[in-house]
Parts: sequence; C-alpha cells; structure tokens
Amino acid sequence: MTDAPVSRIRNFCIIAHIDHGKSTLADRLLQDTGTVANRDMQEQFLDNMDLERERGITIKLQAARMNYTAADGQGYVLNLIDTPGHVDFSYEVSRSLQACEGALLVVDASQGVEAQTLANVYLALENDLEIIPVLNKIDLPGADPDRIKEEVEAIIGLDCSNAISCSAKTGLGVPEILQAVVDRVPSPKDAVEESTKALIFDSYYDPYRGVIVYFRVMSGRISCKDKVLLMASKKTYELDEIGIMAPDQKKVDELHAGEVGYLAASIKAVADARVGDTITLVNAPADEALPGYTEAKPMVFCGLFPTEADQYPDLRDALDKLQLSDAALKYEPETSSAMGFGFRCGFLGLLHMEIVQERLEREYDLDLIVTAPSVIYKVNMIDGSEVMVDNPATLPDPQKRESIEEPYVKMEIYAPNEYNGALMGLCQERRGDYIDMKYITTDRVTLIYELPLAEVVTDFFDQMKTRTQGYASMEYSLIGYRKNQLVRLDVLINGERADALTTIVHQDKAYNVGKALVEKLKELIPRQQFKIPIQASIGSRIIASTSISAIRKDVLAKCYGGDISRKKKLLKKQAKGKKRMKAMGKVDVPQEAFMAVLKLNDGGSA
Amino acid sequence: MPYPIPPRSAYLHIPFCHRRCYYCDFAVVPLGDQARADHGPGSRSIREYLSLLDREIASAPSGPPLSTVYIGGGTPSLLCPDQIGSLLDALAEKFGIQPGAEITLEMDPATFDSAQLASVLAHGVNRISLGGQSFDDAVLEQLGRRHRHTDLHAAIDWLVQAWRDGALRSWSLDLIQNLPGQTLAGWDAQLDQALASQAPHLSIYDLSVEPGTVFDRQRSLGLLKLPEDDLAVALMGRTSQRLAAAGLSRYEISNHARPGHASRHNRVYWSGAGWWGFGMGATSAPWGVRLARPRTRAAYAAWLESPTEESIAEAGLPLDDQLLVGLRRREGVTLQGLDADALVRRWQPFVERGWLQQRAGRWCLTDPEGMALSNQVLIEVIMWWEEALEGQSQSHQAI
Repeated sequence: MTDAPVSRIRNFCIIAHIDHGKSTLADRLLQDTGTVANRDMQEQFLDNMDLERERGITIKLQAARMNYTAADGQGYVLNLIDTPGHVDFSYEVSRSLQACEGALLVVDASQGVEAQTLANVYLALENDLEIIPVLNKIDLPGADPDRIKEEVEAIIGLDCSNAISCSAKTGLGVPEILQAVVDRVPSPKDAVEESTKALIFDSYYDPYRGVIVYFRVMSGRISCKDKVLLMASKKTYELDEIGIMAPDQKKVDELHAGEVGYLAASIKAVADARVGDTITLVNAPADEALPGYTEAKPMVFCGLFPTEADQYPDLRDALDKLQLSDAALKYEPETSSAMGFGFRCGFLGLLHMEIVQERLEREYDLDLIVTAPSVIYKVNMIDGSEVMVDNPATLPDPQKRESIEEPYVKMEIYAPNEYNGALMGLCQERRGDYIDMKYITTDRVTLIYELPLAEVVTDFFDQMKTRTQGYASMEYSLIGYRKNQLVRLDVLINGERADALTTIVHQDKAYNVGKALVEKLKELIPRQQFKIPIQASIGSRIIASTSISAIRKDVLAKCYGGDISRKKKLLKKQAKGKKRMKAMGKVDVPQEAFMAVLKLNDGGSA
Repeated sequence: MPYPIPPRSAYLHIPFCHRRCYYCDFAVVPLGDQARADHGPGSRSIREYLSLLDREIASAPSGPPLSTVYIGGGTPSLLCPDQIGSLLDALAEKFGIQPGAEITLEMDPATFDSAQLASVLAHGVNRISLGGQSFDDAVLEQLGRRHRHTDLHAAIDWLVQAWRDGALRSWSLDLIQNLPGQTLAGWDAQLDQALASQAPHLSIYDLSVEPGTVFDRQRSLGLLKLPEDDLAVALMGRTSQRLAAAGLSRYEISNHARPGHASRHNRVYWSGAGWWGFGMGATSAPWGVRLARPRTRAAYAAWLESPTEESIAEAGLPLDDQLLVGLRRREGVTLQGLDADALVRRWQPFVERGWLQQRAGRWCLTDPEGMALSNQVLIEVIMWWEEALEGQSQSHQAI
C-alpha cells in the first residue's frame, strides 16, 4: 500500500503565531494537492475540535499525508504535521517538531514576528529543521513583505532571500510552497533496516477503538501484525490496525522509516501512550528510546465545583472520561466547607484550564464554579518536612511553617520599544526581577524578567495585551522555586470563611489586594435579601471590609395582558442567573466572583 | 386543555399616537403632532386600520356578551367619537355587551375637549383612563410628552364634571414615578395634585427603561440616572402610604382605587380568566390560549389574511403564570389543592423577613416591602415550577 521510497518523503510542520493564517494555509495545501476535494473542504480542516474552530487556534495537533507531483515529474509524499500554537503546549510542539525535517515559518506580512513564533522557531532550529520563511496575507493592504523579511533576518538570523510570499486565502504562492517543501526540506534519514523506533507525537481517545496514536517512524518498520512495546509506559499491545492520514484514516499493512501514520491497539487511556513515548517491537526491541520524553507536569491548579451538589457524580464521570483523552489533566477530590464536594485539578496552563472547563460545560452539560487559578507552593515546615500545596486554603498555619517557596518563570516579552515603560511597570507590579533588555531591531525589544508564576497565571497576559494595544507577545519557562514572604489571605462572606476565595499573596501586597478584593466582590455579588458583610483577613486579623446592602426593590412596574409573556421571560432570565450561582451559606455567589482576584486591575487600582 | 371560563372581556388596540414618548416600547404608530382622525394627516391610516380591526372582530369565534371592554393604545382619544362608537357597535353585534359593563377608553390630555368627552360617553364609554403622567412641565418635556400641565388640569376638570353629572361612572389617572432627578419632596407635590384631582383610581408606574426606547439610549450614554435604590423604595412607600391614607387601596402593585373603583377589566388579566384581544400587537387569551398579534400594521394585515400558528406565544395559562400575575394583587393567591410544599419552603425566608404573608388562607405580598421586592418572590415560583416540570418529565421517562 505505501511504497514511498524514503528519498521521496518530506515531513514538515507549520510554525505560526495565532491568527497569522496557519490553518488557512494548511487547508490550502490539502486542497492544492487534491488530498481533500474542494467540496469536502470545511473551513480549517485540521482544527477539528469545535472549540478550536471557534477560537481560531490549534490545540490538538493533527497530521495529513499529501501526494504531490513535483516539477521533476516524480511523485512525493508530503506529511504535514500540525502543531499547537500556545505556550501551554510547548512540550507537544517540541515532539511534533522532532517528527519533522522541515518547517514553514508563516509570518503575517503586515504584523511581523511574535514571541510565540520566536520560541517555536528556536525550538525548530534546535531540532535542526530546515526552515522555509513564508510571508502570508500579502493580499492585504497593510502588507509590507520587505520590512517583515528584514525583521525575520534581523531577529531570527534566517536568510529570507528566498522567502515565499503567499496568500493562503486566495491561494497565491501555494504551488511555490509545495515545490519548496520538495526542494528544500531534506528527506528523512534512510533507516529502514535499523531496529524499529517510532515517535508518538499525538494521540486522542476514540470511544470505539480506544486511543488512536499518531506517530512518525524514525527507524525500521511497523506492520499491522506486530506486537508493540511502548518504552516509557512499558506496556505492550497487539496492533488492531495501522494506517495513514489522507487526511481521513486509511488502513495500510506496513509503515517504514520516514513515514507518518496512526495506530489503534485498544489502548484504554491516552496516559498509556503519551506524547514523546517511543514505539518499538516486542520481539525485536530497540536498545534505547528516542530522547526527549517528559511527563506532563501541571503548573496551574484550581477547584472545580458543581453549582448543584447532586451533579458531583456527573462531574467525576466527566473528568474520568476527559482524562482518557487528555493525559495532562490531573485531578483529585477536594472538599470545601463553603463549596461542598468538588475536585482540585491541575493544568498545563491557563488556556488548558479554560479548555477543560469549557469542555465540561459544553460536552457534559455541567454547571460549574471554577475557583481562581493558583500555583503549587513548596512549604518548608518547622519540623523540617516539606509540603507541596496546590490549594491556598490548605496552606499550613504560620506557626507550623518555616518558609514558603513559590515557582518562578523566566519571562520574555517581545514588543515595539515604545511600550518598554508600560511593560516594565507591569512586571514591576507583578514582583518581577529585571534581568535584561535586548534590542532586536531598532524599534523592537525583548524584555527579560524573572517573575513568580502566581503573578503570571492571573491576568498578566490580558494586562500585557491591554497595555500594549495588543502588540506585545510573551513566552515563559519555569526556572525553579524561590523563598518569599507570602501570606494566606482569607475572605469572609457573611462572617463565614469562603475557602474557595482564599489566595496566597506577598505580604507587602496583602493590604492592597485585600482592599481591592472586597470591593470587587461587592461589585460582583448581587444584592440579596439581607446585608452581607465582606471581609478580608490574614489569620484572625481583618485587613479590609465592606458590605453589600440588602436589595430593597426588585419589581416589574406594569403587567397587563400583553405583557405577561414578555415579563415572564425577564423573570426566567433572572431565575436562570440565580440557579447558576453557588449557595455559600445563605449567600448566592456567581461564578465571576470566584475569579474576582483576577479582576482587581480592571479599575486601574491596586 | 380548554379554559373553563368563557371570555367576557375584550381589549382593542389603537396604535396611533402623535409621537412616541421616550419611555414607550408599545406597538404604536406615531402620526405627527398635526394628525387628526376625521380628515387631513393620518386620517387615512386610521380609517384603514379601523377597517382591519372591524374585520378581525367580525371574524372572531362567537362568545358570551362582554362585561368589560378596554380601548387602549397608543392614544385611542385620537379617534373621533363616532369611530369609537362604531368599534363598540361591532363588539355589541359580535358578542353583545352586558348591561352595566365597564367600558374604558384611554385618553390623553390635549387630544380632546369637553364636547368630545361628552360624545364618547354618549356612545357608551363609561370609564376613562387619563394618561396624565406628571403635573410638572419639565417632567413632561423630559418624558417626551406632547401635553403640558394646563392641558392635564383642563382634562381633569372635564372628567370631574362628567363624573359629578353621572355621565361618567369612574375614571383613572396615570402617573409615572421614580424619574431621573426626582426627590421625595417633589414627588409629594405630585401626589398632592393627584389627590386633589379626586380621581377615584390612580395607576402609578415606576419608570422602567425598555430596550430600544429613547431612554434606553440615553442611559447607555450615561445621560439617564434613575434614583438610587433607597430613594426608589422611599418613593414607592410614600405613594402607598399617602394614597392609603386618602382612601385609595393598593389593590395591585401599581394600581390604587377607592372602594368600587378598581378596574374590572385589568382584574381579568391578574385573575387568569380569558379575554379577547383585537388589533396589532394585542394579546388575547380567550380560552387560555395566549396569542400575540404582529406588532406592525403590515404584518398584522398579512396575519389577518392568513393567521399563522407562529403567533401563538404559549398554549394554556399555566399555573406558574397564574401565580406570577396573581401575586400582583392585594388578595394574592391561593395554593389550595396544589402540591406546593416545595414552593412554600422556598418562600419561607420571605415570610421570615415579612415580605410575604398568609392571610385567610391566601398568600400575598406585604405592602409596601413585599410588593417592592415581588420579583424575588416570583423567581422562586419560576424555579419551583421548572423543577416540578423536570421532575414530571423524569417520572414520565421512568414509566
């Protein structure tokens, strides 16, 4: 079935910033090679989760195999391996880059390079990929390909003399791109006769066939009759089928070095076939696995609680099911005195958290309360032991702890230099340590700071975008733990501690945060039938307080024959809002209130 | 489920107005300040519409004689008295009108004089609802009204005269409260004049800013600031207290009347009994099947040609609706014979706060605290009802 000689295979991916047109270009390549008939073309074929299509970003990567007759009259197999475009998923990106020999670097011809692109280009260069610069959207009025080329040369040091200008939207330049992939991307190493190693670069859960694994054969062969061993998880499987993505799955008998394909082997959960793991054969195992495998480590944590207590079992079932398809999702039961039963969940980052939350609400029809994201703290206890705390409400008492350490990241922000002041101000407010500032071109800089991750997982990204009119982009990586003077800030609603609102803050900021937080809560919690005191405290000391006065008037002025239906609609809307709130004691608290700590900067105070 | 009580009430909608007031989101057709019904600007529109209305009345199914008729709008007093008379004739021919029936006409100051008033009364109208809204010219201007306080006083004088003469059986005055910039003292002065008018029925509405109105736009631009909650509550409380002291009982959240002067027609809406409705934008519910007519003339005319099922807003007047409208009344509702323990539990906090009380086996909102917060009580009704329906459908599935 596949008799593609290694010399005529090209494996490549597309590196692009969100919105720079990656998915549109991918669609265009599939269309121009006849892989997908025009009539079957849905917008952005490769992004096939609803959520992705709505947000216009790629979260789950996909792959497609295209047959292409090049200028030399020969038939080539082009494998496009899609990469996710978000910092939360940089590990997945690195694995898919490892499966390629080349990359199209797609840059918007009017907007230029962004930090995210930069990070992925460096990753690609580290993986020794051949990079073909492509300037997209040149049909738009603001396009300035020459300036952007200069920028790419200056920033990345990439020769742009043979960059391709294209418009994925109109199809201009797409044939040139296909030809360039054949001409410039090296063919895979011919390692067909070596022992079998295949790299897993993606997997997803199919309820009927189990986990479907996407892999690139790095050496040797895999046949559909083989028994395989996953070297990291040490599990063995009889293969049900193997095949290629054309782009729909098509069974084949055998795949050899250089090829990209999928396999199904009744694997129960994606955690059993993680991205980065090496597939080899049970009866002729490779000596060592491919390099670079790491287990996904959650960086951001939050509590998930059903608004109605009776949905708890449904939430548990939904998380169980989601985990089958999301190896990075971690969760354990959490009990909150204010919120009842729920789960403490760990995520790769904020986007990952949002995705999981949205999938739970959309695919499983759950009404959830999500608490503000937190990081994992290392608490050194007086007795010499060390406790990892991923839930602020469970931070041990001050008398028992010696010190608290929090995770730090190295943050690189890339922006036009006119925003230096605004960005440095932001980093300073967020307890950042200035490390360096590099001029990349005459008017673009990279600012490097070291920041507590806790300050980043709040609204850092939004603030950065707001303060730079959207021109800045950022990239960060974890650099370890540091000791800081941190305290636990509790919130009391109607005199009762609302543990879901507890945060850990720096001592110097505690007073301001406490004050801003109670004011924000006053704004976010609707007036109720009685007066509700809202207080912030450190230990037993109240540091800020306010109150929400009782509602005194809520009435429809008129209601006659013709109005009844319309007025009822209004009441139904009000009832629906109330139903979505979480009853904490006697107080109904809406979801937004649990995110109050992220919104303290809305009004410019604190 | 057929509604057991046949409809004995009819509502007729006359959409024409001189202008659209800034708070108004009704189905109205502004014809300009010069419009007249007899001849000249707007008269053709009015005649054409009245013939549609006649057609709708004529083609309705038959029913028992009417005990209440309400001609509302719009500004029905834009019509000539003869046109009002013809409409009543059409109803009389179709259903018959019971002796002693309450026949209300909405009239706006500056659209009629004493002769016209005498003429509509001669045609059988016996109750007038006067759209006064305010005695303050600055407020009238702010509301986008066409009349001024002198027009209102003149209209009141004619009504009082007709009432004394026995030509008019009852009349009502509309006022709007809770306006931007309103003070308690200013509102007291308005109430003084309302009471001095001797109107046996007062409808006092809180200004509500509806989508698409001039006020809505002003508010979105930050130009319209309604009184803060505390003042709004004080205004409402003052109204209730002063009118009660003057012998006008608050028989519904926005309606106050001397004994024997409560609007029988409006009570029909709040009682859950059925009614006929005719005209564009009018809602009818003859045997409990509520039907809202199209809100423009063209769509209404087309609908008359071929009435579509789409216009049906809701079938049946479900129990929750009856509670929603019933709780607006002083006498409240009865839960007798209902499986409503869960609702009573939901209501318990309101009872504890003194917003809801049980009186002679009926549940009613207290005046003024409970009435000011009626929505809080009503959303519990909605939540209870939705839960009950859910439980019902689940038990059906189980079977």
